[in-house]
Amino acid sequence: MPLLEVDGLNAFYGDLQALHEISFTVDEGEVIAIIGANGAGKTTLMRSIAGLIRSRAGRVMFGGADITGLRADRVARLGIASVPEGRCLYPSLTVEENLAMGTAARRDGPWTLPAVYDLFPILREFRRRPATALSGGQQQMVAIGRALMGNPRLLLCDELSLGLAPKIVGEIYACFDRIRQSGLAILLVEQDVTRALQVASTVHCFLKGRISLSGAGSTLGIDAISHAYFGG
Amino acid sequence: MDWVPTIINGLLIGGLYGLLGLGLALVFGIMRIANLAHGEVIVMSAFLGLFLNQWLGINPLLLLPVIALVFFGIGYALQVGLLNRLLGKGPLPPLLVTFGLSTMLRNLMGQGFGADIHRIDSGSLPFISLHVAGFSIGVLPLITLAISTACFVALALVIGRTGFGRIVRATADDFHVVQMQGVNYRHIYGLVMGLALALTAVAGVLLGMRSTFTPYSGVEHLLLAFEVVVIGGLGSLWGPLIAGFAIGVVHLVGLRLDPSSGLLYPDLLFFLVLLIRPQGLAGLRRA
Repeated sequence: MPLLEVDGLNAFYGDLQALHEISFTVDEGEVIAIIGANGAGKTTLMRSIAGLIRSRAGRVMFGGADITGLRADRVARLGIASVPEGRCLYPSLTVEENLAMGTAARRDGPWTLPAVYDLFPILREFRRRPATALSGGQQQMVAIGRALMGNPRLLLCDELSLGLAPKIVGEIYACFDRIRQSGLAILLVEQDVTRALQVASTVHCFLKGRISLSGAGSTLGIDAISHAYFGG
Repeated sequence: MDWVPTIINGLLIGGLYGLLGLGLALVFGIMRIANLAHGEVIVMSAFLGLFLNQWLGINPLLLLPVIALVFFGIGYALQVGLLNRLLGKGPLPPLLVTFGLSTMLRNLMGQGFGADIHRIDSGSLPFISLHVAGFSIGVLPLITLAISTACFVALALVIGRTGFGRIVRATADDFHVVQMQGVNYRHIYGLVMGLALALTAVAGVLLGMRSTFTPYSGVEHLLLAFEVVVIGGLGSLWGPLIAGFAIGVVHLVGLRLDPSSGLLYPDLLFFLVLLIRPQGLAGLRRA
């Protein structure tokens, strides 16, 4: 049984249909990437899984339970944590308080404050600073750490590389191996196609709210991806 | 030298003024809701203090924890049962609903209790005073200041130092994002409204012990509470206390200069702050 099973998902913004019949699965411990142009529906998919957008048709199963239409805070407590697009840290809170917000999901596991500081040592040094005083890359680390503190089974990462220098992006993706070793699966939205092909076992390309291409990163040719990415 | 007692008394009553505005500031700071029924909450809590005091014969100060608890429950129910339904629909619906609520509560109390003037009886307490360094200081105002300040300190500790407080501050920053960490912001809003009404009820009982009230007193209390919030400014929990002290001193000094001025001088201070420092005395610029 897959950890996450999205089956015929349709999602809307008002009357605009942003997702059409999306179906795919994520297995335990697997890394799956979603690529696609702006407005292809990637973020809508993430928000639908997280429970922030109510789907009008289709089904989302997580760990064998139907979570379609479940409130976002309940979804989080079941073990789906999000690293939202743009990081969305709390400006009134220090770095350590931002990380501690992850414990609101009340899930025990390997990810504690020391474990997160172990993964990102720089955060320990800055733990008393306001989170928004950090550099973009460090803020992204806080957002990832905050999600990990909830000890999720599935991590949703939306545009980790957005606005960051390539070197920093490399450092952040380097920590993925250690995160995966703790046994959690990662569903990743990424505009950087090469990066997505490197880290993910399977890549789904979105075009206008539909999956236009799916496959293992190594088997997809650049022409096929380009066609699936831009349409035409 | 002659002015020192006036200023001391201004500071003593100022603590209570601050507490009158604290609940309003808390709710506005966290939920961006201006509770227009705030004044009626003050009057209702004073009536509850009055009845419990008459019925049980217990000193109203000892009733404060019970009354605070009752209003905590009312606040939670009000937020979760009613105000949460209005979230995300702009600032107008909560204003209209709490305005309607205030009108309803005011007239219900008027129907039930008549227009008589009441005061909570605290025995001989209002008449005892201490003599310190040649000044005479009332014990009840002193107790009032102590309780008011204690409420501020307690709230600052809860919001600043506890896990619950951290969740409240995060929810105030972004109530969408806290859901992704498993926080039910509707429940948090309920708890915050409960806290706010509990603090307001304490202020209401203390106010009912030192001055008279009728079912229709809520309007002037709401105005005073708003002045406290605006003068104090948002961004710091201590803002309302500083504002309360400022209003208390200005009020009593004004009354000394012009005994028939009423609340004219606090109103002028309010106007001045709006003009010169619209973010308030302790206000931080917040996005």
